[in-house]
Amino acid sequence: MNVKSGARWLAALLCITALAGLQAASASAHTGEWAKFNYCPTTQTGVVKCIYSLTEGGEVVLGNKKVPIVNPVTLQGGLSSPTAGVRTMFAATNGETLSKTPEPVPGGLLGIVPPEDSPWLVKRLSAFFFENSLTGVNATLELAKPANEVQLNEINLAFEEGTALKLPVKVHLENPFLGKNCYVGSSSAPLIWNLTTGVTSPPAGIEAIAGFGGEAEFKEGGALVQINNAKLVENNWSAPKASGCGGILSFLVNPIIDAQIGLPTAAGHNKAVLETTNDLATVAAVNSH
Amino acid sequence: MRTKTIGVILAAVLATLALGSVFTASASAAPQWNFAGTALTGKEDILGAAISSSMTIPGMTTTCDHFLYNMQIENSGGAGKGKIDELPLFECHTNTPACTVEAIEAKALPWPTHLMTVAEKPYLFVEGIEVGILYGGAECALGEVEVPVRGTAGGLLSNETESATFNASTFSATGAKLKVGSTPIEWNGVFPTEAFEWHREESLSVE
Repeated sequence: MNVKSGARWLAALLCITALAGLQAASASAHTGEWAKFNYCPTTQTGVVKCIYSLTEGGEVVLGNKKVPIVNPVTLQGGLSSPTAGVRTMFAATNGETLSKTPEPVPGGLLGIVPPEDSPWLVKRLSAFFFENSLTGVNATLELAKPANEVQLNEINLAFEEGTALKLPVKVHLENPFLGKNCYVGSSSAPLIWNLTTGVTSPPAGIEAIAGFGGEAEFKEGGALVQINNAKLVENNWSAPKASGCGGILSFLVNPIIDAQIGLPTAAGHNKAVLETTNDLATVAAVNSH
Repeated sequence: MRTKTIGVILAAVLATLALGSVFTASASAAPQWNFAGTALTGKEDILGAAISSSMTIPGMTTTCDHFLYNMQIENSGGAGKGKIDELPLFECHTNTPACTVEAIEAKALPWPTHLMTVAEKPYLFVEGIEVGILYGGAECALGEVEVPVRGTAGGLLSNETESATFNASTFSATGAKLKVGSTPIEWNGVFPTEAFEWHREESLSVE
């Protein structure tokens, strides 16, 4: 009897394990166009849409440092129903709502960048000496607030008016000398990007920049809309001083980083340009594929 | 030598003037509305129902089976003008399995119109177009929010069939642009033009 009972328990346990495995697989089992939404929290209450936004170009100008976006950055997750056109974001199920993608800072720690028209060899040598694993610096964008403080207005995105995407971020500067906690911006003092596909409204005396709403294309029988070549811009944000750079020597290193970058910077002296492809679909559509 | 230079300049000036007149003839000379061969005086209402009309965002076409319009026309300053003041749209649907049309409405009416000639052909140019579309369907990617279609439209007028035809080539000829955001929309439609008030049953032409 005991043996029989034990066998039943084992069978039940195996069934539960198998079911759990199936469920885990179904949460990320989409294929083709739908694989983009594998980490959309489709079972979470309040999520009505899924978004997958891929930034493959653009730049972030922080003070006097310009960092081109050369490695793709992903923003993904769920979206709420709109309130006055604005949808609130829900975190991606893999925890990477905004992918932590390092972007090399031209000139690295020393900030030595050859002029644009320098010969190819000079540029390569400069990168070799100043952007290597020791002196090179990577800048990684990270969300500075919970995902529900990211907001999307898809009509503003398409129509090039107002704020299309509100993104509270911080910039993680990474280099062996800077330690693991060197940031510009924080959860208490985030860099607030009110990105537009229209024309920015920087402070007086600063030139406005124009974005682009992109080109929409319906796919999968109208169940998926892809907005290609959208250009989101923002140059009306300020940045605080760096913090946590150099570990226990931060009281020495932070001021050096501030001097290198020109921190703190007032609104209008920084710029974000994101060249994106955006995929949107309803939860019902994602779940049925 | 001086005579030769003056000759070259004169020839250049004449060529410029000739080119200028060619361009003027190809794009200005606005035609007028005529009824039974006589230029319209005063105002007239024309109305009709589109024989077929659809708008295409890449990947999805929205068609309205009943697409009516009412346009008030007049000749003003030697040119045919008008305004579309009613445009009810009924029985609209898409060609996709995911999206239905929950609501569709012409907005910001009246829309000003004027006649124009391009490459010796008469066109009707419509400005200030705004159509709000609310798509439905649990799986429709553009549901929940109203999608505004905005811009201008240019249609080729035919005196033989008394109709205006809107398509990609008429948009290109007139420089018209209809968009959802930054995405160009293709509008295909054939609209008969028929007087409804003072010139009812008279032939309508544009010259």
